[in-house]
Amino acid sequence: MTSPNPRSTASIRSHPLHVMLVPVPIVCFLATLITDIVYWQSTNMLWADMSAWLLTVGLIVSVFAVLAGLIDFLGDPRIRRLRAAWIHVLGNVAVLVLSIFNALVHTRDAYTSVVPTGLILSGLVALILLVTGWNGWSMVYRHGVGVRGIQS
Amino acid sequence: MRLLPCTAMAALLLALAACGPEASDPRRQLGHDPYLPPLHQYLLPPMHVAKVVGWNGATPQAAPGLTVRAFATGLANPRSLYVLPNGDVLVVETGEPPPSMSRPKDLVMNVVEKEAHSRTKPGQRILLFRSTKGDGVPDVKTVFLEHLHSPFGVVLVGNDLYVANTDAVVRYPYTPGETQITAPGVTLCELPGGPIDHHWTKSLTAGPDGTKLYAGVGSNSNITENGLQAEVGRASVWEIDRATGAHREYATGLRNPNGLQFEPQTHVLWAVVNERDELGPDLVPDYLTSVRDGAFYGWPYSYYGQHLDPRVQPQRPDLVARAVAPDYALSSHVAPLGLVFYHGTSLPAHYRGGAFVGEHGSWNRSVLNGYKIVFIPFADGRPAGLPEDVVTGFLVDGDKARGRPVGLAVDAQGALLIADDAGNSVWRVSAAAP
Repeated sequence: MTSPNPRSTASIRSHPLHVMLVPVPIVCFLATLITDIVYWQSTNMLWADMSAWLLTVGLIVSVFAVLAGLIDFLGDPRIRRLRAAWIHVLGNVAVLVLSIFNALVHTRDAYTSVVPTGLILSGLVALILLVTGWNGWSMVYRHGVGVRGIQS
Repeated sequence: MRLLPCTAMAALLLALAACGPEASDPRRQLGHDPYLPPLHQYLLPPMHVAKVVGWNGATPQAAPGLTVRAFATGLANPRSLYVLPNGDVLVVETGEPPPSMSRPKDLVMNVVEKEAHSRTKPGQRILLFRSTKGDGVPDVKTVFLEHLHSPFGVVLVGNDLYVANTDAVVRYPYTPGETQITAPGVTLCELPGGPIDHHWTKSLTAGPDGTKLYAGVGSNSNITENGLQAEVGRASVWEIDRATGAHREYATGLRNPNGLQFEPQTHVLWAVVNERDELGPDLVPDYLTSVRDGAFYGWPYSYYGQHLDPRVQPQRPDLVARAVAPDYALSSHVAPLGLVFYHGTSLPAHYRGGAFVGEHGSWNRSVLNGYKIVFIPFADGRPAGLPEDVVTGFLVDGDKARGRPVGLAVDAQGALLIADDAGNSVWRVSAAAP
């Protein structure tokens, strides 16, 4: 039996790994924007430290999410034919590159670890994530990527 | 396929690490009016520590007219020295309290710090060395005081011996000639210690009339990254009343003041100060300065007077307006930790009245700086001339450290003693045989 839908190669018993992993970096990177804003307004270092941890955890889990996503992307040509998939991949590459820079900026000490460069990078990443997230959902909910066909 | 982006990423990070201003000649940053370049904030700050390799029989090199030999070896992190009136030499074996961690960067920094220090577990005690023949060659060694809490400063006033642990100044009864103190200490005054205890070495000296003690209390961060609330009572020199233990902040804005010493001729307090990191290879110059009652020396808000540090928020223009520029720059990141005015007679006359400074050496600079003892001539109680290298040879093969000098003292014979924590030794510098 072959599924009519594009197949997820990196999956366990039809559960695609990529979608299990991506919520972690998405939440971490969006939360970084929030903790950066709170630090900017309060200058309480606790919030800047929180941003640094969020970025680190987000980047570490991203490594695995990227691997799973890339395997899926390369594993089924039907995925590569989707416009949404290309927007999703290229946008998230930008998210990762900006977040690596952002993590480095956050290793600075005190105020300039966040304001203004860190804050700007966190904002840009959040904006790109809205686009790549939307396209990721399109891949699953409109094009059925990784969704096994219902057997009758 | 996936190798390519990984290689590209590694190359990008290396390129980032390399970016930033080139280190300039440290000689532009010596004395009264140091060159101060524009500040630079890194994406990846340089972390160039000299790997500690030990002496393996080698010795440091002394300037012409001087000779160096080992006074004591095989120690456990000797960092400071004190000479008792009978000539006994106290060697403080110490190390930092457990490091704290508030963000991922601290993980990396803790590893880097380990690399730059001796692997020997610090003794957390004070050893006594006695030369019974009076020739400066110790033939008696005892454990003078033990179970201390990251001790650093020591001073004797009358029969009261004060030890500055990282969290308190403790008084012990001392009987002249004794080689061990077993009596429990009495806390005279608590000092800012943990749980965060970034600059932990508490330097200690006594005022000329003996009624007051002066303790150096370093900042709790590079530049307030642990929060301003962690800096209460820090980056200052405390004046502590010997009778009551009451204290006040004698001078403030001194990021990490060490080597507190009264200049013998003018009775003015001096200190060597470690300035802030991560603003470039040539910022901010560490310095030697007189410490004036009530003066504010800038940290954290500004450096060298009114040069603002953008990393500090909220700023304090009222404090910056009265920030005093220090007296004498030693160049950037040399990490001066030891200071002694030479009032002996056995070294060449050139050294009389001047100051020796022990430079522990840089970690935050692509080209290493410090790792030596310099001499600064004084006239009328003020620095008068450029620093001269007195003891070198702590670095080998360009970027490895045989040892790292810290505290200094002058012994009963007038020789200069150097505590070398990474080399686990104490060196003795005397006049070369004519």
